[in-house]
Amino acid sequence: MSKKLFSLMALLTIASLALAACGPAPTATTAPAEGGLLMGMDQAELEAAGYVVYAPGEPIRIGISSGLTGPIPDLGLDTANGALLAFDDVNAAGGLMGHMYESDLQDGACDGDQGTVVGNLFAADPSIVAVQGGLCTGETIGLRAIMEEARIPLVSASSTFPGVTAPEWTVMNRTPLPDTLQADVDAAYIYNDLGITSIALIHDSGEYGLGLAELIQGSFEALGGTVTSINGHQVGDTDFRSTLTTIGTEGAGLIFFGGYATEAGLIASQMGEAGLTDVIFMSGDGALTEQYIDAAGAAAEGTYVSTGVGDLNVDAAAEFDAKYEAKFGSAPDGPYHYHAYDAIMMIAAAIEQVAQTDEGGEGYLIIEREALITAIRSTSGFPGITGTLTCTEIGDCSAGGIAIYVVQDGAFVQVSGFGLTD
Amino acid sequence: MAFLNPAKKTWGISLGPSAYRLVGLVILLAALAWRVNNVLSLQSYTAQYWTLQLINGLILGGLYALVAMGYTLVYGILLMINFAHGEVMMIGGFAGYFALTGFQTLGWTNGTPFESGLSVVLALLVGMLASLIAGIALERIAYRPLRNAPRLVPLISAVGASFFLQYTVLLIFGVTPHYYQKPAIISSGLSVGDTGVFISYTGLFIFFSSIFLMLMLYLIVSRSKMGRAMRSVAESKEISALMGVNVDKVIVFTFALGSVLAGAAGVMLGLHNTVMKFNSGFFPGIKAFTAAVIGGIGNLPGALLGAFSLGILEAVGPSALGLPSEYKDVIAFSVLILVLIFRPTGILGEVLSEGKA
Repeated sequence: MSKKLFSLMALLTIASLALAACGPAPTATTAPAEGGLLMGMDQAELEAAGYVVYAPGEPIRIGISSGLTGPIPDLGLDTANGALLAFDDVNAAGGLMGHMYESDLQDGACDGDQGTVVGNLFAADPSIVAVQGGLCTGETIGLRAIMEEARIPLVSASSTFPGVTAPEWTVMNRTPLPDTLQADVDAAYIYNDLGITSIALIHDSGEYGLGLAELIQGSFEALGGTVTSINGHQVGDTDFRSTLTTIGTEGAGLIFFGGYATEAGLIASQMGEAGLTDVIFMSGDGALTEQYIDAAGAAAEGTYVSTGVGDLNVDAAAEFDAKYEAKFGSAPDGPYHYHAYDAIMMIAAAIEQVAQTDEGGEGYLIIEREALITAIRSTSGFPGITGTLTCTEIGDCSAGGIAIYVVQDGAFVQVSGFGLTD
Repeated sequence: MAFLNPAKKTWGISLGPSAYRLVGLVILLAALAWRVNNVLSLQSYTAQYWTLQLINGLILGGLYALVAMGYTLVYGILLMINFAHGEVMMIGGFAGYFALTGFQTLGWTNGTPFESGLSVVLALLVGMLASLIAGIALERIAYRPLRNAPRLVPLISAVGASFFLQYTVLLIFGVTPHYYQKPAIISSGLSVGDTGVFISYTGLFIFFSSIFLMLMLYLIVSRSKMGRAMRSVAESKEISALMGVNVDKVIVFTFALGSVLAGAAGVMLGLHNTVMKFNSGFFPGIKAFTAAVIGGIGNLPGALLGAFSLGILEAVGPSALGLPSEYKDVIAFSVLILVLIFRPTGILGEVLSEGKA
């Protein structure tokens, strides 16, 4: 009995070793002996000099980090799916010089520690030429430090905290709008359109949630409004009654939450129990997913959610939606699938600009890492689904504006902001 | 009388230079009282506010108490902390969720008051049954083979079992949280006159069912034959065995009792906070363990007292000390540390037989 078990385990071990050997390890033996590939250097020398080298037929590998586990798995999957769809499209167009594109999707768990783990994984793989991610701000900040060191360009499709992009982070770019604009538009909507002059803030103590709450506080106070209190919680907290009861004594007309879908939904559903029946609830882009409506239940009705939306290319978006549904079996659900698609397309366009073949004409594809970093950063007038994307000198490549939605009959209906047509 | 009576230790302080300790305690209490007094004179919280927070605390306390019973029962018998107890509770919560979802498709949860009420009670029973199975399996697989190993070994096994259960549930049910839909009968609440005090029916249900279940537990432990056997095994396994008590059976029964209460707590937690995911049992488990230690582990009235004190402190404490409510965990664990410093055996004392003490 135990002998059988032992032989089974031995078999599994051998199989896993064999599989590992089949991984994308570049092999120096296939390089031509004389002359080298480029400037007299062979593959190993080129890799050491900061180039990515793909042997004939090898795919161009782009990493994806998304929060497939963690607080917003639905949003993470939706964003990753948007990116995966882009791979289908670039490959359907024939790839690049006989090389197809290949994705390497890893779970960044919407978390800084896991972002670091994924970053190290990508940095250790010489065939990863660029990375799309991460989903959450914390995750991206974890990834960013390692990508900077490894000289791998990084394009996030969903990290909206303003500090994600900065002059010192040469590899970091993003396709969504930073939260500064979201805070300004939300504050103006609350103050001018809803006519509310005092609000209370709750945040989840994360980089994104706390950051958004503080920006809202700044924008709202600049308009002349009052912030009655700013209350911290943790990602994963489930009981907000004590905080809500305290907020109930402050006379705020609206509660704004900076954080993710589950916590947002639970706060909305517990407000009634704390007697806050006539207080409005609003949250940011981290909650714009069906998961929020599921979590809040009936209490979701009449609550507001805002997000950055692209200057949508309507035809391209409709085509994207159809392909998405055909491939994944459900309609896209979340704010960032288009941004993720655009991020991959932007990376692919930049690779096309800087890729070279080997001097012997044997079908090698050679990409200089520094050139690719520069090429992505100097993206200009790129026609994406989310609009015409041009990167600023610190890597903000977004187009569009902020949209505000209200939940009506279990669906998000836009009431204000960018792209509203009536 | 293991489990039931406070320890026969004096209230004196048992460790270290007791005079300094006593002085420290007095200074600390004075500082706290000064702070609370200052805050209360500055803040204009109304009686309605304190009542609402007290209700929040009592509901939390009821939940903690149910889970704390399991820790304290197992500790009393095996001198071991069952760190997978929170996960047993989470499994009950999931079972209750699926039961309720089933009743929802039958149209019961929003049907007549009888159907709606029945669906709540049945979901509670399903959760208790699932936890019962999980608890008994846990004892058989993770703890029984290690019964005679050194005390740290089953503790490590418990931590391992906790992770095993969490990630098994993650694999099976996925990472997206499961959201409870409250049955109609408990979805609204009760406004007390025009005082502005509001109690959710879910809260009332949790509070009274937890009191009822703990009363049942008390009766089982104090009156039944099995309860007597449990108390005797807690005194000494060897001598109980010599007296004809089937020790294995008693231990399984103890785990079963604790798990059933945890299962009920899991379903109630789901109904209260309307969310259940693979790690939903972890933190409430830690809190309930804290409650058991504060009250005096191995001691049922102690666990009850600890749980309600902890629940009320968490709800009322931050406002009384003028802190934001995000500090509720800081307050809870500070109380634990203070209790461990000034009264290491918990408020009512750890209950150990003379042989073990």
